[in-house]
Amino acid sequence: MFLAIIRMALTSLKVNKLRTLLSMLGIVIGVGAVIAIISIGSSAQQDVTREIETLGSNIIWVSPSWNLSSADREELFTMEVAAELEALSPSVAQVVPEKTSGGRLTYQGESVDTTIVGTTPGYATINLYQPVAGRFLDQTDIEDLRNTVVLGSDMADEFFSGEEAVGERITISYNNRRSRFTVIGVMEDKGQVFAGNLDAQVYIPITTHLARMSTTNDIDTIYAEGAANAPAAQARQQVDYFFYRYLGDSDDYSIFSQDQILQVLDEVSTTLTLMLGGIAAISLLVGGIGIMNIMLVSVTERTREIGIRKALGAKKRHILAQFLFEALSLSGFGGIIGIGLGWLATYFVTDLGGWEMVVSPIAVGLAFGFALIIGIFFGLYPAIKAARLDPVDSLSYE
Amino acid sequence: MIVVEDLRKVYKNGEIEVEALKGVSFTIEDGEFVSIMGPSGSGKSTMMHVLGCLHQATSGKYFLDGEDIGTLNDNQLAIIRNEKVGFIFQQFNLLARSSALRNVALPLVYRGMKRSQRQEKSRIMLEKVGLGHRLDHWPNELSGGQKQRVAIARALVNDPSLLLADEPTGNLDTKTGKDIMKIFLELHDQGHTVVLVTHEPHIAEYAERIIHLRDGEIEKDEQINTSKAEALRQD
Repeated sequence: MFLAIIRMALTSLKVNKLRTLLSMLGIVIGVGAVIAIISIGSSAQQDVTREIETLGSNIIWVSPSWNLSSADREELFTMEVAAELEALSPSVAQVVPEKTSGGRLTYQGESVDTTIVGTTPGYATINLYQPVAGRFLDQTDIEDLRNTVVLGSDMADEFFSGEEAVGERITISYNNRRSRFTVIGVMEDKGQVFAGNLDAQVYIPITTHLARMSTTNDIDTIYAEGAANAPAAQARQQVDYFFYRYLGDSDDYSIFSQDQILQVLDEVSTTLTLMLGGIAAISLLVGGIGIMNIMLVSVTERTREIGIRKALGAKKRHILAQFLFEALSLSGFGGIIGIGLGWLATYFVTDLGGWEMVVSPIAVGLAFGFALIIGIFFGLYPAIKAARLDPVDSLSYE
Repeated sequence: MIVVEDLRKVYKNGEIEVEALKGVSFTIEDGEFVSIMGPSGSGKSTMMHVLGCLHQATSGKYFLDGEDIGTLNDNQLAIIRNEKVGFIFQQFNLLARSSALRNVALPLVYRGMKRSQRQEKSRIMLEKVGLGHRLDHWPNELSGGQKQRVAIARALVNDPSLLLADEPTGNLDTKTGKDIMKIFLELHDQGHTVVLVTHEPHIAEYAERIIHLRDGEIEKDEQINTSKAEALRQD
């Protein structure tokens, strides 16, 4: 009997194809939108995460706070501290100091203002940053305070535009001090990272920077790379603990780690996706109201049919089941079409963005389940109304 | 067997109460062919709704095959309608979007019969009323007389104790109406209990007994001579 009632419900949907399609539309769009938004969101999120991971692995960076006086900075943030951090933290593979200042590059009469980064060979490794010509700074450059410079790709283009740069001599001026530097390498294109645009900078030994370009001895940033075998959080805790012990106040320094930024990014995009998904879910609700509307019209139109069925022995629950199943079919089929639509939309958008497509099965399950619940919820009232009709009144309904 | 004792039915329409049946009593034996006749407003429609278990009486007793209908709830009434009552309406009341076969099979669906069995039984019923060649036709492809035959097949499919016909010839021309009345006579001859509700004397006269209703009361309950029925039988 149950099968027969299902067949009745499907038959009446089939008879009124256009109306069936129109009443499903709300659910189709709702389910499609929820799936598309969540899937596009997670595709984009995965893409961003992957991009961040290519910037370098598990880096923690520490800088002095703004509220630290320059005297304190000079005393506290030094090369020695960086060395000590490396020696005392087993979860840290290497520590890379950085000192930056604005300066002017001059070559054959042409000048460009840029950022001069004083650092150590570790800078290239932690940023997964490779030279395309020559080499990056090495230990000898540091120890001998050599006047060697490595150019970011934009800087190399600026002065040499494809010509051989390695071996050329370039002048760097800062605070009215001028020094001649030998170009020993040109770096690959890397683009914007957290530290800034690596391509637009030039790199010199930090020892040279401190001795010749700086007025003070303090360094700006200490990068620590977590050891490969240590959990990211553990390396971060060790570094944090070191500086807390050393400075005695967590307000005196700021500490960031890549996994922290990934986490924040993750949270932001998850929140955003959920919010947009929630808005899309409202359209599901509207779709449900559409179904209820059509079902109420249908019950009124088919009052006589209901009367006939009751006269022939249909119980309330038979009528209820028939109309409820009609509503459920509307939302179910609408949901299935919506899944297809959401998949298509995700396919096109991720294709356009060049991301790998991630259709979240949870989103599909959630949207479809929600559609079914809405079908039952909004189908219930019309079905109850149909089941409660008086057989005599319905039989005489014109 | 139908036993009706002091049956009353009061309809409330807002503040106004209308007493459609004012204490009606009669007995109909198994196999009888009875017409219930009266002008509009006489209470004959109400009588049919109560006899067909579509409505409950306000007071009084109604026994169908010994069962006290007045004590039944909606679900039990639905079962009685399904198993014991076969309705034939003036408007045919077929489902417009179902084939003749499916229309006839509908009471069997609510009885819980298997599909193959339903179809077999419905086919036999339609053949009995001479529509074996119209099984897959929709109602709008059938003539009025054919529609009423489908409705009769549907009424008979559950082998009910009571065939309840409400102006069954009202929408048919005289010739077709006679054909339908002939079917009722045949059913009566086969032992079915037939109750015919009508306001037309010439239709009521095919029965063997007429209960006249007026203003909710029995005006006259008479056995009539069956010459008219005999004439139709011979026709």
